Amino acid sequence: MKRRTLIKQLAFVSGSLVLIPACMEDRSKASMLLKNISIGGDEEMMMADLGETIIPKTETPGAKDIGAHLFALMMVDDCYKAADQQKFVAGLKAFEVKTKNQFSKSFSKCSIEERETLLNELEAKKKDISDLQYFYINTKRLVIQAYTTSKFYLSEVQVYKLVPGKFYGCVPLNKAS
Amino acid sequence: MAENTFDAIVIGSGMSGGWAAKEFTGKGLKTLVLERGRDVKHLKDYPTTNMMPWEFEHRGQIPVAIKDANPVISRCYAFKEDAMHFFVKDTEHPYLQEKPFDWIRGYQVGGKSLMWARHTQRWSQYDFEAPKRDGYVVDWPIRYNDLSDWYSYVEKFAGISGNKDGLSQLPDGEFLPPHELNCVEEYFKNTITKKYKDRPVITARMAHLTEPQPIHIEQGRAQCQNRVICQRGCPFGGYFSSNASTLPWAAKTGNLTMITNAVVQQILYDEATGKATGVRVVDAITKESTDYLAPVIFVNAGAINTNLILLNSISNRFPNGLGNDNGLLGKYVAFHNYRGRVFGKFNQLTDSNSVGRSPSGAYIPRFRNVFTKEADFLGGYASLFVAQRSLKMNTIGFGNKLKEQLAAKDLKDWAVSAMFMGETIPKASNQITLDKLNKDEWGMPLINFNVGYDDNDEKMLADFFAQMTEMFTTAGFTDIETKDSKQAPGLDIHEMGGVRMGSDPETSLLNKWNQLHQCKNVFVTDGACMTSTATQNPSLTYMALTARAVDYAVEELKNKNI
Repeated sequence: MKRRTLIKQLAFVSGSLVLIPACMEDRSKASMLLKNISIGGDEEMMMADLGETIIPKTETPGAKDIGAHLFALMMVDDCYKAADQQKFVAGLKAFEVKTKNQFSKSFSKCSIEERETLLNELEAKKKDISDLQYFYINTKRLVIQAYTTSKFYLSEVQVYKLVPGKFYGCVPLNKAS
Repeated sequence: MAENTFDAIVIGSGMSGGWAAKEFTGKGLKTLVLERGRDVKHLKDYPTTNMMPWEFEHRGQIPVAIKDANPVISRCYAFKEDAMHFFVKDTEHPYLQEKPFDWIRGYQVGGKSLMWARHTQRWSQYDFEAPKRDGYVVDWPIRYNDLSDWYSYVEKFAGISGNKDGLSQLPDGEFLPPHELNCVEEYFKNTITKKYKDRPVITARMAHLTEPQPIHIEQGRAQCQNRVICQRGCPFGGYFSSNASTLPWAAKTGNLTMITNAVVQQILYDEATGKATGVRVVDAITKESTDYLAPVIFVNAGAINTNLILLNSISNRFPNGLGNDNGLLGKYVAFHNYRGRVFGKFNQLTDSNSVGRSPSGAYIPRFRNVFTKEADFLGGYASLFVAQRSLKMNTIGFGNKLKEQLAAKDLKDWAVSAMFMGETIPKASNQITLDKLNKDEWGMPLINFNVGYDDNDEKMLADFFAQMTEMFTTAGFTDIETKDSKQAPGLDIHEMGGVRMGSDPETSLLNKWNQLHQCKNVFVTDGACMTSTATQNPSLTYMALTARAVDYAVEELKNKNI
């Protein structure tokens, strides 16, 4: 991608981006208003780093750039049933405990390698129904949703056209793109 | 009183009310349209129409608090973040359900014509003859020939896309060019048409401007751009709605008065003349009551609310509701059974796909009990067939690898599905009544639904599953699955009947001109008038019946017969 396009995109990726610095100053509170779940500033930062581990910034925007962790928290807060919200928050705590037990520090302080070790473990446990696994699977799903419905993704990766115009019913795949 | 007196009153501004407004004003009558909801102006009041997917806070999803408070509307396929402002929420307008009925409503100018599914097929001679031939309900007082010219009339103005397929069971109309089918829809059409002589598969006929004609340009509408987010309101006017088409056309004549937030409580009846004199309206916001007068009244409030208004129009002469001497008002309510789906996969033709989006698909006209009664159930069903391919989207793992996977353009094989659109047989026990003890804040009794499925519906659905499984197998589809959603009646949004047409005042409410047998200056031309339901998406028929009835009413006014 051209550098200029990238800068332009980063400027508009998400209005919620401007909220992030706020939580850096006061780590006891989340940067966004949550109605149903209680998430602290540290936990929000952990979510941001977890999101970034799932979809990292490369030469193109990653999860943090598009505010995927804020989207995930907002969706859990607004669109999950109360029981699922509790499971999610319990899983989030369990994730923090596991990280501390394994590496004696928070996820945000973990190295890239340590973060990947944790996620590899969770990826391997497909059938686990623990709160921790629920938290991981749902965070990942929501981060992917945020990413694949972001302006960057729908403008640069899989292009969404608001006004597609003519519909071609049947086109050989080598000509379809 | 002079400022409250008009030449005609139309109750409702949706699909059929919009047509009544256009026809009356076009014939020079000063026409009052009463809409119980707020105004929605074409273009101006489509707040989400140009929003991109990432601009929706919840990416289209409805928050759980809204869902929990509004379980009925939350079951509607189109009730999403982008169009939720066009749907009535359960909490705003409660009703009673002796049996579950998901009543989907749009209280605004344009009604549900803003968010409808836009499929438009004519009824055939067989559909009008079926009740008499097969012995259910009562005979329709009209035949296809009574309506064919009116179908043409409304089709030309609304703009309907389709092929001339030459089928007597689904007559051709005045068509704009058809949409294209995709590779697998075309394949299915060819395969099934070859194998089953009696089961043609055609391109769906839809109220989309595939090639606008001068009459559409004159309405300010432009070619459909295949956005396929029609439920938000279309900035091109690419599909037909009252808002984009009939209402602005009526306004241009200078003969239209539109009053919004106008809840009609009852039609006023004068025993001395034996006619209705006007309507009593309560303002939805101020609750102030006003009477409006006119020599002719069209009730186009939407099938169920039309029943409500008539049932609530009590007088000494009509203690059980206007025109209801035979006690049938509110009975024989019917709908379309949309419970069934058949799914499958297709691993051929995978070297091709479509480009762009299509609002259309393939349509399988009814093939049961069409030319003769041959199945062990009454009525028949049509089906909509669609095929599509989606991205593979491998979400295993994380990190750079996952990011690369999400950028892959690889497509899955084809997913196919066929949707069941079954006729239901109206019966007296499928009834709506008024609960006089429970009134809403506008003083209207609450409606109580006692409408359900019967054995005929179950038999027909089983036949659909069997036939469609066979057709999918014939076409070489795999992983075939049938699914009965068991959804309550109503989600089809094709509620009909309660004020049925017929020749005999003993057994029907309306005559062949949609005129109340016993109060000749009141007409009903929305879904409430339907004697039987056939399988077609009904809106086009309401439009044609409305234009025909207005033409008749104006003649009768001129001749001083009403």
